[in-house]
Amino acid sequence: MPTLKINHERCTECRMCYVACRELNLNAVYVSLEPLHRLEIDPHKCTYPVCTVCLAYCPAEGSIVEAESGRWVVPPPPDIHRWWLKQATGL
Amino acid sequence: MHPLLGQFLEKWVWPTAPGAGGALFRRRITEEKCLKGWEVALHSSLAEIEKGLASGTDDWQRRVALGGYAGEGVQMSIKQMSAQLLSVDLTEQEKYIDLQRMRARQVWDECKHSKLHAEVLMAKGWIKDERELLQNSAAHTQPLPAYFGLSMMFPHIHPLARAAQHYFVEAIACLGIAAYIHLVDDPMTLHEHLSQRDEELMHFMEGKYKIDTYCTTPENQKPVEDTLDFLLHRLRVSL
Repeated sequence: MPTLKINHERCTECRMCYVACRELNLNAVYVSLEPLHRLEIDPHKCTYPVCTVCLAYCPAEGSIVEAESGRWVVPPPPDIHRWWLKQATGL
Repeated sequence: MHPLLGQFLEKWVWPTAPGAGGALFRRRITEEKCLKGWEVALHSSLAEIEKGLASGTDDWQRRVALGGYAGEGVQMSIKQMSAQLLSVDLTEQEKYIDLQRMRARQVWDECKHSKLHAEVLMAKGWIKDERELLQNSAAHTQPLPAYFGLSMMFPHIHPLARAAQHYFVEAIACLGIAAYIHLVDDPMTLHEHLSQRDEELMHFMEGKYKIDTYCTTPENQKPVEDTLDFLLHRLRVSL
């Protein structure tokens, strides 16, 4: 399974991912104990691709990527975010 | 639909977290109410910019910067956001603590807007320093009633009313920024708007997140719909 990581060259540290992840009590997004206190994603707690909540509400293009491939997943590509349209329309 | 709006929808509006309880409600209000307002606002922004570009001088950029300084300066922003913080009752603060944190952070975001407008005015040689703006009434007057706090007093004071404003109004800001970036190649005007792109989008995401997360019952959906109707009325958009 692919895992997610923060792309610090694009992240604005707005913390939307942190808030959304905490709301679901996953707490996979955390503030790291390094001098810049940047946001990081704990791959052991993150359930991606089952959960994509951080991707849906992140406003900074390219700031979360799949760690293995480097693929930008903000904004979420159609294969990630179309679940609810499928659910609503039955397509 | 204008391609800039289509692109905005595809990239930022439609993506939704799996299981988000308010997602279908958000889709309905987007299709029934927001889209028309966004389309009108985008065309208005494009027309204003094209009119300015066609004028043959850059005086329109001076007026935009002065108007921006008046409309979103430090005093206005502190007052607006402070009032938003007060819209959550003490007994409900634990329930809406994330909304409170987002609003507290936005005080800082809003206060920074005026600096961007002042930088344009200084870089273009229209003022020597920001102090000069204290003597310029154009930098302190604007047509909205917000100076007396009316624009922030939604008809329905509810913690989630702000979510509708974030979702609907910040999308308009995002589309306006997209219009400037699309049409204008002046480096200072780009600076004035490009710097704001991610921030305004972040506020839009706050609204989207709050609606998806909290607007799961008719009781919690009503203040959002009421506020949207109020905002559309102010834009004079009939659905």
